[in-house]
Amino acid sequence: MEISAEAAKLLAVGFAMGFGALGPAIGIGLIGKGAMDALGRNPEARGPILTNMILAIAFAESVAIYVLIIAILLIFVV
Amino acid sequence: MWFNLRLVPFLVIGGLALAVASFVGGSVGAMIAGREPLALLAVHPPILHVPPEHPFGAIPITNTMVASWLSVAVILFVFLWGMRKPRLVPHGLQNALESLCEFAGGFIEEMVGKEHERRMFPVVMTVFLFVVVNAWMGLLPGFDTVTLGGVALLRSANTDINVPLMLAVTCVCMIEYWGLRSRGLAYVKSFFDLHYFGEAARAIQRGYLRSSLANLFYGFVYVFVGLLEVLGHAVRILSFSFRLFGNMTAGVVLTSVALFLVPLVLPSVFYGLEALFGLVQAVVFAGLTAVFGFAAISSADH
Repeated sequence: MEISAEAAKLLAVGFAMGFGALGPAIGIGLIGKGAMDALGRNPEARGPILTNMILAIAFAESVAIYVLIIAILLIFVV
Repeated sequence: MWFNLRLVPFLVIGGLALAVASFVGGSVGAMIAGREPLALLAVHPPILHVPPEHPFGAIPITNTMVASWLSVAVILFVFLWGMRKPRLVPHGLQNALESLCEFAGGFIEEMVGKEHERRMFPVVMTVFLFVVVNAWMGLLPGFDTVTLGGVALLRSANTDINVPLMLAVTCVCMIEYWGLRSRGLAYVKSFFDLHYFGEAARAIQRGYLRSSLANLFYGFVYVFVGLLEVLGHAVRILSFSFRLFGNMTAGVVLTSVALFLVPLVLPSVFYGLEALFGLVQAVVFAGLTAVFGFAAISSADH
């Protein structure tokens, strides 16, 4: 079975983005859940909780951005 | 309110009608119906240039370089103009700038504590201002559209991999400098936990074979852990630069795809998203520099 380069590229991009965004999305949801739990327990600590949540979400999201970079490179440059 | 509230339904319906009309009459409708898009609504499909281009022909100045000079000029001009006649009780622009700096100082202080905030403020605030002004200036009309010599004259500086890379290298170097400056040799020793080798030497001296072998093993394991720690510090350069570059480039691609699909009215939503992401990425870059700097300054056994 012969797969053309174009078809292989498009398949690769689809799989990359599909599987690659799964982990970070779940991770960000878990971080949000943790932040909501902490906020519910201690509403006075709103400032530090939100600040640390934003930072942690940035870490988790950067992995999704790595995958997006690879997908964009595959589509437009390869 | 300052406008007539009864106009809002008409504005919404009018906006939706324009959006649907541009969708049907533009490139997507043309592709479905097999005809040419209306000349007014024909937007070319999104093209992505990853490397920056040279609009001035042979002169080695790229369009992102020009944009970064422009944002530096904007920052300098705004701050110098606000402080041209400083008053003890601030008014106007000086007030706004002072409150911005105080807010940023409070943000850094929350993360690193009062005694280190002053040391980190210059680098963190500069990185934040540079990234956010770059990101927001990329939204102005004229960026990516005005062309000179076939390529865009101005392009948002954050979309050129060199600028985030430069910022990342600077921040990581500053983090290591802060760690070395505040803790000296103890900072270097904090990477490699060598006391297991000392324990092994003592055990051999007393003649305990199994204990010395176990401690030797732990010693080598912790050398490997130390190497991983060094690698983790070096990888920060990659993660800093790719986080910013990826977010900005993805935003540019998203906006151009939105402009291609529905040329009227809808891309304003993506514009707002771009503005928000620019601010968030600037805060994250500066905030992570502060956090890692604090981790380098404070010793592990606090």
